[in-house]
Amino acid sequence: MASSTHWNVVRFFVTTLYLWMGWILFTWSLSLGNLLLGLVQSGLVALFTWPVFVEENEAARRSHVPRVHFLIVYLLFLIVQMYGASFRVLWQILRGRINPGVVHFRTRLRTDIARTALANSITLTPGTITLFLDDDHLIVHWLDSRTTHSRYARKLIAESFERVLKRIWA
Amino acid sequence: MNWGTVIFIGLGVIFGIMGNLGVLIFPDVYTRLHASSTASTSSVFSIFVACMFAAGWSPMTGKILVIAFFFFITNPISSHLIARYAWEKDVVPWRRSYAERQRLSHTSDE
Repeated sequence: MASSTHWNVVRFFVTTLYLWMGWILFTWSLSLGNLLLGLVQSGLVALFTWPVFVEENEAARRSHVPRVHFLIVYLLFLIVQMYGASFRVLWQILRGRINPGVVHFRTRLRTDIARTALANSITLTPGTITLFLDDDHLIVHWLDSRTTHSRYARKLIAESFERVLKRIWA
Repeated sequence: MNWGTVIFIGLGVIFGIMGNLGVLIFPDVYTRLHASSTASTSSVFSIFVACMFAAGWSPMTGKILVIAFFFFITNPISSHLIARYAWEKDVVPWRRSYAERQRLSHTSDE
């Protein structure tokens, strides 16, 4: 029981810290008044929302701190993938030769936040949209469906993302 | 005005126009969402990059970087929501007929 109240305090402070970081980044000034105002307001917001963002289970606590250098690599990789895929979609719009289909596959990522990031990246890349995510089971709508085989589809759509994502949130 | 600005604004305009064209010509909800997400993701991001080139090395660049990161998190959620709603309402995805698919796969292998 004691450890769980301890974890609740940690949850509150983690939420406050993330909100404060967002405040500092958006206001972009380091004057004392601004920092204090941001801290008070993030604390106030965190007072109401701390059960929402950080998980109740302490076991997944390491998943809240991403490895930042891999995160930066991942963002650059995502931008490259996005431009490549949008040129492909552009070509398909011009020629009108689309072959849409729905594929199901399972991901090998274990933490919730990594799975959310994977589904988000799949949707962000033009040409693939995540329709449904249930535990590790993803349903993806694919504009140029080269296969319906689930393992091969995972290899084509998700494997390059998974390889970096499993290093960010271990 | 430098070349980076010109190139990325041009890319943004091309992706926007082609995405809107795709929304008009594609057959059903899901394929139209693909076209609209091309427009909303790639063209808006290209315009962000063009703004960064135009602003140069200043605090404004950092702000645009933060907005772009925020956009990367929030933008896919809207298209995912529309797609998920359609999927839960059992909207059947449009498919090519079997004969057409065979023909396409044979020609694309070459």
